[in-house]
Amino acid sequence: MTKNSIFYIFLLSFFSIGLSAQGLLNELEEMNGPETEYAFATFKGTKVVNLQSVELPGKGDLQYSILHRFGAFNQDFFYNFFGLDNAQIRMTLDYSPTDWLNLGLGHSSFQKVYDAYGKVRLLRQSKGEIEMPVSMVFYSGIFIDGIRFQEDLSYEFTDRLAYTSELIIARKFNSNFSAEIVPTYTHFNFVEDADWSNDIFAVGLAARYKISKMHAISFEYVHQLNPNEYLDSETNEMTAFNNALSIGFDIETGGHVFQLFLTNSRGTSEPNVFAETPGSWLDGDIHFGFNISRVFTVKKPKTE
Amino acid sequence: MKKLLLVLCISLSVSLQAQKLSTRTGEVSFFSAAAVENIEAKNTAVSSLINLADGEFAFLLAIKSFNFEKALMQEHFNENYMESDIYPKAIFKGSIVEFNQDNFTKDGSYELIMKGNMTIHGVSKDVSYPVNVNVKDGKVSLTANFKVKPADYKVEIPSSKKDNISDVLEITVKFDYD
Repeated sequence: MTKNSIFYIFLLSFFSIGLSAQGLLNELEEMNGPETEYAFATFKGTKVVNLQSVELPGKGDLQYSILHRFGAFNQDFFYNFFGLDNAQIRMTLDYSPTDWLNLGLGHSSFQKVYDAYGKVRLLRQSKGEIEMPVSMVFYSGIFIDGIRFQEDLSYEFTDRLAYTSELIIARKFNSNFSAEIVPTYTHFNFVEDADWSNDIFAVGLAARYKISKMHAISFEYVHQLNPNEYLDSETNEMTAFNNALSIGFDIETGGHVFQLFLTNSRGTSEPNVFAETPGSWLDGDIHFGFNISRVFTVKKPKTE
Repeated sequence: MKKLLLVLCISLSVSLQAQKLSTRTGEVSFFSAAAVENIEAKNTAVSSLINLADGEFAFLLAIKSFNFEKALMQEHFNENYMESDIYPKAIFKGSIVEFNQDNFTKDGSYELIMKGNMTIHGVSKDVSYPVNVNVKDGKVSLTANFKVKPADYKVEIPSSKKDNISDVLEITVKFDYD
């Protein structure tokens, strides 16, 4: 052991003291280790307008929503008191037993549709220890058409059923801007025309931009890949069903989310919106509508 | 003599390294009492260090780790008030005033002062609060109660929420060191 080596060890010991005093905060950061930060509040509501958003109500939350869809601007708008007299309504009630599952029931006045649906969270966008660029949610619903069949027609109950599934792939780009791409598949057990396809594939695109802490503007478009054609009574020509385009304005107030929007879809349940929208923005088939949702915390998480 | 010096050096550096109290499971909670509702949130993943060599004291917490009674409250807290995407952490860095190692090694209860710099929501302020240090069977725990005004840290509460959120939050700190 030389004098020099002792000197170095002596120096080293002081160096380590100096380091530890300097980097108390660094040490705290290191103690915490790598963390995973999950994206939250990618969208305000559980729906954008017609498309499902990537949001699920929190665990133990019961959510009640009312959706209104007024008559179109080109349907005797003033005679129908600004579309109020021929408005459509939809109500849904859903519950999240866990953070990743939401189950709901709904009724739409248009076509007297009853429905049941489930939403499952598959992936959560995150950064840090776990890097995940997108969030992913799967939605699937079964819809029962409640309109009476013509009396002289024989039918099965299963003819009333339709199914829609959506795979919602969303990304929160920053605290203000989020977007999602939504492949959808709708199956009708029974279609009105022999030439129609029972299966309609469509791709939805939606985005929201927050203009203040409580307000956001939203956009949504659902493009059908294989739209069915119907006989337009005015032009007497075969016309493809239109793609639903909606623009909206979200207002958040504590437990409520208000969504005001303009859309060319008159239906409120998913199969009607995605595959059976005859109206076009260019012809003035624009409906004003709003969604209101209220969350009730049924089961409180333990804070201990 | 040389060997003695060497042992001294090593033991000095080792002992100083070891003389640090730490925890990763500290608790920080806040309480807001307002006309319409009381809001309470708790964070149980706070990390803290006390350097027994010089009395340096620091703690650090992730804003997103505060747990609320209602999921929606937690979302609003993060998104509308604390903006935790931009300011993910709150930090205190300072020291124990008139530090005496005995207050952390000998059994007893000691009323002390913490003094330093608190950073919340990206805003730093010099603060000084009373703390209680309790030593029992060599286990050290530190508790503190103080009040924080969100406005001091540029956390805006809209006038429409004045009945829901108090303009003064009661903070409780409780660290049980390993």
